[in-house]
Amino acid sequence: MAGIYLHIPFCKQKCRYCDFVSFAGKEDVAEAYMACLLKEIELRGKELSGRTFDTVYFGGGTPSVVDPKYIYAAMRQIKKCFRLSARPEVTIEVNPGTVSEQKIAMYKRAGINRFSVGLQTAIDAQLADLGRVHTVRDYLYCASLLRGENFSADVMIGIKGQTRDDLQKTIEVAVGSGAKHISMYALQPEDGTPVYTDYLNGELPDDDEVAALYDFGRELLARKGYARYEVSNFCKKGCESRHNLNYWRRGEYVGLGVAASSFFAGRRLLNTTDLDEYMKCTLSGFFPVIDSEEVSVQEAKFEFVMLGLRTVYGVSGRRYKEQFGSDWTEDFAAAYKRTRQYLETQDDVTRIRDEYLFVQNKILSEYAP
Amino acid sequence: MAKASKYLRNFCIIAHIDHGKSTIADRIMELTGQVSKRDMEEQLLDSMDIERERGITIKLTPVRMFYTALDGNEYELNLIDTPGHVDFTYEVSRSLAACEGALVVVDATQGVEAQTLANVYLALENNLEIVPVINKIDLPSARIEETKAEIEDVIGLDAAEAPCVSAKEGTNIRDILEAVVKCVPPPEGDTDDPLRALIFDSYYDNYKGVILFVRIRDGKVKVGDRIKAFLSERTYDVTEVGAFSPRLQPKNELAAGEVGYIAASIKSIEDVEVGDTVTFADRPAAAPLPGYKKVQPVVFCGIYPLDGSKFNDLKDAILKLKLNDAALTFEPDNSVALGFGFRCGFLGLLHMEIVQERIEREFGLDIITTAPSVSYLVHKTDGEVFHVDNPSHLPPAAEIEFMEEPIVRAEVYTPPEYVGAIMELCQDKRGVYKNMTYLDARRVRLDYLLPLNEIVYDFFDELKSRTKGYASFDYELAGYQRSKLVKLDILLNGEACDALSTIVHEDHAYKRGRMLAENLKDAIPRQLFEIPIQAAVGGKIIARETVKAVRKDVLAKCYGGDITRKKKLLEKQKEGKKRMRQVGTVEVPSEVFMEILKTNKDRK
Repeated sequence: MAGIYLHIPFCKQKCRYCDFVSFAGKEDVAEAYMACLLKEIELRGKELSGRTFDTVYFGGGTPSVVDPKYIYAAMRQIKKCFRLSARPEVTIEVNPGTVSEQKIAMYKRAGINRFSVGLQTAIDAQLADLGRVHTVRDYLYCASLLRGENFSADVMIGIKGQTRDDLQKTIEVAVGSGAKHISMYALQPEDGTPVYTDYLNGELPDDDEVAALYDFGRELLARKGYARYEVSNFCKKGCESRHNLNYWRRGEYVGLGVAASSFFAGRRLLNTTDLDEYMKCTLSGFFPVIDSEEVSVQEAKFEFVMLGLRTVYGVSGRRYKEQFGSDWTEDFAAAYKRTRQYLETQDDVTRIRDEYLFVQNKILSEYAP
Repeated sequence: MAKASKYLRNFCIIAHIDHGKSTIADRIMELTGQVSKRDMEEQLLDSMDIERERGITIKLTPVRMFYTALDGNEYELNLIDTPGHVDFTYEVSRSLAACEGALVVVDATQGVEAQTLANVYLALENNLEIVPVINKIDLPSARIEETKAEIEDVIGLDAAEAPCVSAKEGTNIRDILEAVVKCVPPPEGDTDDPLRALIFDSYYDNYKGVILFVRIRDGKVKVGDRIKAFLSERTYDVTEVGAFSPRLQPKNELAAGEVGYIAASIKSIEDVEVGDTVTFADRPAAAPLPGYKKVQPVVFCGIYPLDGSKFNDLKDAILKLKLNDAALTFEPDNSVALGFGFRCGFLGLLHMEIVQERIEREFGLDIITTAPSVSYLVHKTDGEVFHVDNPSHLPPAAEIEFMEEPIVRAEVYTPPEYVGAIMELCQDKRGVYKNMTYLDARRVRLDYLLPLNEIVYDFFDELKSRTKGYASFDYELAGYQRSKLVKLDILLNGEACDALSTIVHEDHAYKRGRMLAENLKDAIPRQLFEIPIQAAVGGKIIARETVKAVRKDVLAKCYGGDITRKKKLLEKQKEGKKRMRQVGTVEVPSEVFMEILKTNKDRK
C-alpha cells in the first residue's frame, strides 16, 4: 500500500511558528498553481501506473483556503491518473477560520472522508498570539459542520504562557467537539520564525515544562478514551491515520506540489520549494524534482528502526527480516545493547517503553549510521 | 695561535615583560640596515604567532648584524633575544652562555622589576658584562634620574653612562650600539683548537633536518666536516653552516667566537640535546663545554587528543615541540576516562598554556587537558619516598605516612589600595606573610610564602580580578613543606572518574568538592537517567549534586518531508557523541575536563 500527498502552499496569514513552504496573500496564483498540480499528477500517474494507492492527503499551507473546486478537480485528476484501493482514506487539512458549509459539502463530493482541523489551543489570546486566523468559536462552528465525520483536531503544547488548565480546556474542547483523533504536538521553535524570538527571549515553556504538559495531556487523553499510537498522535479505537501510519511503516508515498517529498522505488525525492520554478517545470512537462537520493541499505535499516520506534507498534523483527533478510538486533547490536533497558519486547515486536517515548531521540540517535 | 676576531660582539637583552626588549631589538636591526624599515614586521624576532599576539618572547632568536662604530671599525654583532617571563628563565640562561655581554633594559616609568634582577644575577654568574639601558624616555611619566639611581641601588651597576633611549620613537639607539662595542669584550677562543660548539637551541626544519643553534667556543666548522655530539656520540656530516640575518643565511664556515647554525641531516629530534657540545668526529676536543643544569618541571597536566585516534599525531607534535623547548617533559599516560595521552611537565603556568596553544595552532590538533597539578613528595608508611604529580597515581590514604608539597616565594607588586585584597587572597590560599615594602608612594611589594598548588589552581586569575589587573606577580620555588593533603575524587553515577581527581589541602576539600560538583552539574548534559555527582575524600562523600534525567528530546512531527531531515538530525546527534567521553555509564563532554577545573568566576 502507498500514499499520495498534495501540497497546497497558500495561507490567509502565516502563523508565527510556521516554517513550512506556504505563502500568504498569493491566492491570485492559486488557479495557475492548481493547474500545474493537475499536470504533475498526470506526469507521476503515468510513471507509477503499476501501484495501488490507499490514502490521499491534502496538506499545506491551508488547503481549505483555496476555492474547493480546485480540490475537487485535483481529486478527480488523482482518480483518473492513479489506481486507488477500494476504500481509500482521503484527508484534507482545514483551518477553522476558512471553512463554510459549501466547502465541506464540496470536499465530501470530491471523495474526502477525513478532516484534520487545526485547533491548536482553546484559549483565544493564545490563538492570536500564535498568529492563527481563527477563534475557538470558529473551531466549534467548523466542528459542527463536521458532525458525524471522521475528523482529527491538532492540539499544541509549549505555547507561551500555556498552563495545565489551558491544555485541559483545549483537550476537552477537542474531545467535546467530536474529534475521533487528536494530534498533540510540541511547538518546535524553528530558526527564522517569529516564535523563535520568543524562544530566544526565554518566553516559551522550557523542556521540562513541555514534558510535564505532555504527560498531563497524554494521561487526560487516555482517560477520555484516546490511545496513543505514535508519540504525537492519539485516537479512538480504529481511527488511526492510515496515511501517517504508512510513513512510519516505511511505505511508499508520492508527494505532489511545491516542496513535496516522495519515497518510492528506494529513492527519496524532493520537489523545488520555489513556486515559480515549480510551475515552469510542470508546465514544460518536467518533474520539478531538485533532490533525488537513493537510500542505501544501511540507511534504510536505520529509517525502519527510527520510524518504527516512534509508534507503539514498534519494530517487528519479522517484518524487518522480510525486508532486509537479517536480524535487526544483530545489525544494530551495539546500539541495541546500549538502549535495551529503555525498550520492551513482546513476541517479535520491540517498542520504546512508554515513559521514554518523549525522549526517544536519545535512544534513536544510538542507531544512526 | 689564531684568536677569535676582536671585531666581534655577542650580546643578549634582558628585560622585564613590556619593558621594550623586542622593540629595542627591532630598532637595532633597523639601524644596522639588517632589515629595511619597509620590510619590518613589528617585532621581527618574535616569529611565532603566539609571541606576536601576546607581546611576549618565548623562544630565543639570534640575529647577526654589522655596525660601523664611531671609532671607524666595522663590528659584527650577534644579538640573542631572550624571553622575559619567569617561566622561561631556563631559556635565558641558555642564551647567556652564548654571549659575553648583556643589555639590561629598564623601563623609565616602572623601574627595576624582580624578574630583571633575577636575570641580571644569572648574567653575572655567567661572567657577562652588563650594560644598563633606560627605555621609554619619551613617556611623560619617565623618571630617568630616579631610574638611574634605582639601577645603582638595587642592581649595583654604574648607570651614569647608561644609554637613555626611546625604542618606540627610535631615539638614541646608536648609543646602545656604541656601549656594546665599548663595554662588551670580544670573545675568547682559538680557531686552531679542535672544534667545541655549544648547542644553545635547535628546531626542526622539514627540508634540512634539525637545525642546531651554536656558539663556537674553539676551532671552526664548515660544510663537509664530520661532527660528533658529545652526549649521544652520534656523528653527522655537516651540510650547511651559517649566520642569522635573522633568517638562516649560509656561510662558508663558522669560527671561534661566532654565533650561527649547523645543519647536518640530523633526522630525529631526540638525537642531539640542547646544552650538548659539538666537536669533530675524528679530532674530538678533550672535554665538552659545561652544559646547562637540567631544569625541573614544576607544573604538570595530562594532554589527550580530543579524537582518541589522533594519539600518534599528538605524539609527533609533542616530540617536535620538545626539540626547541628543552624544558618540556612528557611521558605516555593512560586515563580510564580520556584514553591514551601524555603527562607533561612545564616550568610554570604560562609555559603550560603556550605549549597547549602551540599544539592546537601549529599542529591543528584538538586536545583535552586535565587540571594542572604539582609534584608532591609522598612518604609511605613503609618508608618509601617518591614524587607524585598525577593524582590518580597517589597510593591509598592508608599507605601514606605524610605528604609534602612545593612552596614558592611569591612577590606581589601592587598599588597600595589593593594591599588588603591581596592579603585576603593570600590568606585564603594558605599563604604565609613575610614582608611588605613600600617601593614608592604608588607601589607596594608583598612577600609571601605560598603553596604552589594554590597558584596553579586560580591564584593568578583571582589576583587579577581582585586588583582590577593592577597587581603583578612573580614566584620562585622555595622547597617543600609537610602539609595535610587529600585526594579529592569525583564520582559520576557512583563511578570515580580518574581524570577529575585532584589533590587538595584538607581544609579546602569541602569547598572545592562542592564547587566541582556544582560546575559539573551545569556542564554534563542531561541523560536518560538521573546522574548523581559526588565529591569524595577517602571514601567519604563530601558534596553531592544531581543532573536530572532528560524529559524531552523528541521530534514532534515526522511525516513525508521530515524523514530525511530528522534522519540527518539524529545522525548529527550521534556525531556529537563522539566528542563525549564515557565515564562508566555517563557521557561527559570533552570540554568538561578543561573547563570544570577553572574557578567559579565564569559561572553566572
